[in-house]
Amino acid sequence: MSIPTLQGLQTALSGLVAEQTALDTTGNNIANANTEGYSRETALLEPDPPLDIPAISTLTGEGAQLGTGVSVSNITRIRNVYLDAQYRAQNSALGGASTQAEELAQAQAAFDEPSSSSIASQMSSFWTAWNSLASSPTSEAAKEGVVAAGEQLASTFKQLSAQLSTISSQAGEQYAALTGEGGEVENYANQIAQLNGQIKLSEEAGQQPNEMLDRRDLLLDKLSSLANVTVTEEPDHTDTVSFGDAAKPLVEGTTVNWPQAITEASGGQLGALLGLTGPKGALTGLQSGLDNVAETLIATVNEHLAKPFFSGESAATLAVAVKPSEVQASGTKNPGGNEVALAIAGLRGGAAEHGYATLVEKLGSDVQGAKDEQNNLQTTVTAINDQRQSVSGVSLDEEMTNLITFQRGYQASARTLTAMSELLETLIEHTGVVGL
Amino acid sequence: MTERITPAMVNSSTLSALGSSLEALERTTDELSSGRTILEPSDNPYGASQVIDLQSQLDGLSGYESNAQDGISWENTASAAMSSINEVVQKVRELVLQAANGTDDQNDREMIAEQVEQLTDSVKQDANAQYAGEYIFAGTATTEPPYEQGENDEYKGNAETISRAVGPSASITISTDISTLLGNGEGSADGKLLDTLRTIAKDLRGGTPEDVKALSSTDLGSLDANIQTLTQLQATAGSATDQLQAALSRNEDLQTSIAGALSNTQDTNMAAASIAFANEQAAYNAALRTGATIVQESLLNFLQ
Repeated sequence: MSIPTLQGLQTALSGLVAEQTALDTTGNNIANANTEGYSRETALLEPDPPLDIPAISTLTGEGAQLGTGVSVSNITRIRNVYLDAQYRAQNSALGGASTQAEELAQAQAAFDEPSSSSIASQMSSFWTAWNSLASSPTSEAAKEGVVAAGEQLASTFKQLSAQLSTISSQAGEQYAALTGEGGEVENYANQIAQLNGQIKLSEEAGQQPNEMLDRRDLLLDKLSSLANVTVTEEPDHTDTVSFGDAAKPLVEGTTVNWPQAITEASGGQLGALLGLTGPKGALTGLQSGLDNVAETLIATVNEHLAKPFFSGESAATLAVAVKPSEVQASGTKNPGGNEVALAIAGLRGGAAEHGYATLVEKLGSDVQGAKDEQNNLQTTVTAINDQRQSVSGVSLDEEMTNLITFQRGYQASARTLTAMSELLETLIEHTGVVGL
Repeated sequence: MTERITPAMVNSSTLSALGSSLEALERTTDELSSGRTILEPSDNPYGASQVIDLQSQLDGLSGYESNAQDGISWENTASAAMSSINEVVQKVRELVLQAANGTDDQNDREMIAEQVEQLTDSVKQDANAQYAGEYIFAGTATTEPPYEQGENDEYKGNAETISRAVGPSASITISTDISTLLGNGEGSADGKLLDTLRTIAKDLRGGTPEDVKALSSTDLGSLDANIQTLTQLQATAGSATDQLQAALSRNEDLQTSIAGALSNTQDTNMAAASIAFANEQAAYNAALRTGATIVQESLLNFLQ
């Protein structure tokens, strides 16, 4: 038994094909160097089964194995699933913290502290107006000043209360848009379920659907910013996705279970939106804190007066209940008396003002805390993503090196083919031709 | 194997470094251009509540300051009116002494009586002195004159006091109860100034030796007692002015110290911020320069 005559050509051809496949894979990596969610791919090369040549040695009579070339066993994507899980966990936390920081920053902007149009300044002006009335209790201008300052203060309270309500209801609308029909959750879940089906078919056919796997992973990354996501890969290569604290998995094979009830414990953007507007949420707390300040203001001012100056019982309903001519600087009929005006002017620095300053301080530290948390998580997410990039990202330097390696390999295979061809030419054209 | 570094990693870290440098720079620019370190409560939550507190205190102090100044003007008006009453009373005293020494005849005394009656009206006019449209000697009935011109000497004001707040829970009484000096005139027989003046006029017109005698004895005595009361009222008004002045200067000191505390809490330390600005600018420039250099590097540049 000897080596088949044309084996060398086959071996060289397998080299050409393998190098070309590797070159194509490199080309694909370069083309997708900036594609979001793309994992670099590599062509796995394996030697072909060798040819057994029995008794090739005349000396020992032993056989040998001759390599018959190379083939591409698979094109795999390079990815670390543990990093994916870490990334998604931190990304959910970041989604929650960003939403928290954003909403609270809006509330902070509505408070507009410190500025001359804020409640603190208006309240100070209100006390000043009463002080002026105490100095000239009979002056119509001073009485009008008191009412004007009171009305301005009341309208600032009302505006702020309305702005806080708007922020709350916008948070509710945002939640509804994300979770509703055609919202992001449903959209992502449908795409994942569809990809699950396609991936299952491909895997069954013995292919590795790299692009679809990348797309599914990218969708899971995006979904993780909305709420906590846990992914279990099933034996049939479909992903089962549990979402927040929903009772049933969001995606199971090709089935989507949505809508489902979730709570603020779900984490992510949705959990934060539910939390902020919930009964113990920061926005709810601000609204009730503001109402408390308004109630204190109404009570402390009105207790000095026979005819209430303020009406209402919350920030939204606060209003001035008297006309300028009804403002009394004194409880007696004497026009020059000013003991009531003095008492109300003396409320400066009192419970209402103190309550408001405390509310602003609380809001400030909440915003500060949320921003700090957001920054920390952003750093963590960036670090994990860098690790993922380190594993899966396309390095152009590396691809360039590979490009040259495979190009040279292809050239060498072609040269082998030429050498084999020349060999055969000698055999076919010149063998047995003597003396011509 | 060392960690692989990909261009995407370099790009993202370059961008995030640029972003954070620029953010710091923007923050310092905001502080420098606004002059404030607290632009929103989250910059310094405790500081923000302090600012609310201190600003209100400062507004309150400026209110107290104008109260004190207003009180001083009120007292100045009152003192001027009482000085004028004093002059009138001294004049009456001279006239009484002149009439009592016996050289004048009844005609002269009638003329003096007329003068005394005119002077009584002028006393009442002084008692109707006004400050900023309010009658200052009427207690809290500040919209009506306390005394009418003419026969009726009854006091129309009340005995209540008016005060000005010069600090938190500190107020100074600025009203003077003029009725303790002037009284209710003839009918009341209260021995106060108006009663005394009416009695003097009556005794001058009476013409009997008893009347003339009364002029130099009981009438002069009452007048001196009234002068004593007037002096006391003037002293009280003077002391209120002193208290208001003292409150005013204490208020100025407090305003200075609270404005200082406010500035420490919310104002930018310009020197420190300027140095921070220069540092941040240098850092930003460095980030830009290195970023611009590194993102251009690639093996591609060297392959033929």
